[in-house]
Amino acid sequence: MDEQPTDAPHHSVRTLEEEFLHKKFSSHYSQSRINVLRPESREFGFGGWEKKIEFRHIRVKNESELRSRLVSEAPLYISHSVAYYEFPDARPMVKKNWLSADLVFDLDAEGHTCGKFTCQHCMEKVKGEAHQLIEEFLLPDFGFSKNELSINFSGSRGYHVHVRSEAVAQLDREARREIADYVTGTGLLFDRLFWKEGKKFFGPKTADGGFGGKFARAFVKRLDNDEFALSISRKLKKPEEREKLRASIQTGNWDNIGIANREEKLAEKFAQMRLTLAGRIDANVTADTSKLIRMADSIHGGSGFAAKSVDSLDAFEPMKDAPIFNEGEQKVKITEAVPALTIRDHSFGPFVPGATATLPMACAVYLLCKKAATLA
Amino acid sequence: MASADLIFCSRYPFTKQAKDYVSESGLELTSTLVEKAEARVNNALVTGKVKRVAELPDAREEELAIYAGARMIVSSANNRYIISRYAVAEAKRAGEYLAGDDAANNGHVELVASEFGVRFEKKGKDYLVPLSAYLPFTPRSMDYKLTNRELENGFVLVSRHERIRMMEEAVKKKIEGSLPIRAQFSEDITEAGKRMLALIPKLEVATVSVGQENYPPCIKKMLEDLALSINLPHTARVALGIYLVSAGVTTDKIVDYFRHAPDFSEKTTRYQVEHLRSHKYNMPSCSTMDSYGVCIADCRCGTPLRYRDAINGARLRRLAAEKKE
Repeated sequence: MDEQPTDAPHHSVRTLEEEFLHKKFSSHYSQSRINVLRPESREFGFGGWEKKIEFRHIRVKNESELRSRLVSEAPLYISHSVAYYEFPDARPMVKKNWLSADLVFDLDAEGHTCGKFTCQHCMEKVKGEAHQLIEEFLLPDFGFSKNELSINFSGSRGYHVHVRSEAVAQLDREARREIADYVTGTGLLFDRLFWKEGKKFFGPKTADGGFGGKFARAFVKRLDNDEFALSISRKLKKPEEREKLRASIQTGNWDNIGIANREEKLAEKFAQMRLTLAGRIDANVTADTSKLIRMADSIHGGSGFAAKSVDSLDAFEPMKDAPIFNEGEQKVKITEAVPALTIRDHSFGPFVPGATATLPMACAVYLLCKKAATLA
Repeated sequence: MASADLIFCSRYPFTKQAKDYVSESGLELTSTLVEKAEARVNNALVTGKVKRVAELPDAREEELAIYAGARMIVSSANNRYIISRYAVAEAKRAGEYLAGDDAANNGHVELVASEFGVRFEKKGKDYLVPLSAYLPFTPRSMDYKLTNRELENGFVLVSRHERIRMMEEAVKKKIEGSLPIRAQFSEDITEAGKRMLALIPKLEVATVSVGQENYPPCIKKMLEDLALSINLPHTARVALGIYLVSAGVTTDKIVDYFRHAPDFSEKTTRYQVEHLRSHKYNMPSCSTMDSYGVCIADCRCGTPLRYRDAINGARLRRLAAEKKE
């Protein structure tokens, strides 16, 4: 069923739209730079109209061979392994001889899905989560340095964060699963953060590492908020009581206030604080040491956007910065309902099926890639 | 060599120092020592422990020779179960010495840690260890789950006891990874190796059932790994479960297969197998199995389920028909 020819060129009959996109993609690859670290040690996967990975186990000798294949074949999707192999094209996988692998995190808007088309609100949310992953986990907890991280837009609705560090390159699946579980707070035993000694109740200090410290710091910070403070205890109405509690948490003593149902209440607060990325990263991607992942700066065949490398997350605006076909116009016929969208400052839609429109190239390519329009 | 160094070597015979000592001193493996080596392996297999002997000056060099002999015997037997169980027992022995040396504060613990390229940094009563060492050298259990640990700037805080436990794990992995030694062994070694094979509990080999010879290589390998208490990743377990359910194996039998998994829980396993059964999951294709890292052969049958048909389906169908009659 899944027996894929390893390396066969693609010669099936293409639709007009597919042909159009192939030409566009090919011309883009002939003019753009490719930037893949150690391409000779990676397994590549190419995809087409029907499947994001149609051919895998592809090996290239160097960057220029990769580029010439991209120009001549212009796959709609290009992925490469997170792993480095001695023999990237060998099969079965064990014969590739795994050497090491980048650690990757896949953040996707799928979690807050609102349909097939790109939604500004969701995109902002994922960007915030990518920010949280880096600023609250990868840098402070895991101790990676900024130059070990590279971020790229997925080309669709999410972000990929690649970590290239000696500290993690050799880790196996299980170890990577532990890392993913940490980031998502999976298996966190909240009770273990707190313990009783006689009548006293101890918990994490603000200076602690791990989730204990995260919770203590977030808790102390939120005491500024009246609503939060009062939901803990009425006593905290007085500023001096808040100050006392703050000082006491610094030392790990959480007993300073008589909170009713203390443990449940703290657990409830913990859940509300969104200190983990539960449901926001795909743990299977992080754990998979032979995962094929979208090549940075390649074109995503489901949007026509670049899986663009991102230097500054804050400044990056996917709908502005990721579209690549910015010259000319194209007339298309709409085949399914399209909501109002804005790509590169051009607002268009909503469209009903059957409508035709002449659109800036990036918008037309987007609709063709979404299979929501045909050439007209 | 100074006697202090020899003490270190005899306690930690898997270290580079010990190996250098052995190769320099040209220790001879007399027949008495081979007997003692066999006793060491025997003990490891039967009791799960390697006995510590009184550290008399004469016994120290002997310990080194016995360890070398034990490795040869294990290698000659060349069986996964024996290698794993022996490695665990040697690691426990090392762990006991490490705990003692930790209290004696003689630098031995740091020296063993450096053997694994790990540096523990003291922080109060505890230690900081880099994540790159923490993850491979801690057992997969709730106690060591990273989520519940203090992780800061790439370092994990571990207690004194946990530090020793981690090194035990490292010793186990090191010994397991270094065996079997490929060499020609003398007759007394190979004979001892054969006697060790007889010590494998029957249960370990008794999992083979009728029909299992028709399982594809990946499935056989997973069953074999399970029987030897080798941990399978979650994705592999699910695939194995789906296969066995589709192959008509009863839930009881499937649960039995998982009984030797290092983290076996009867309740969970039974629930999960029943879940697979009631949801009628599709068998992952060969290429998916390959991406899970469990494909070990190039059978080209598309899906493990089709292997039987591809290899000897006709014969099987005939047999099944005869059975019905």
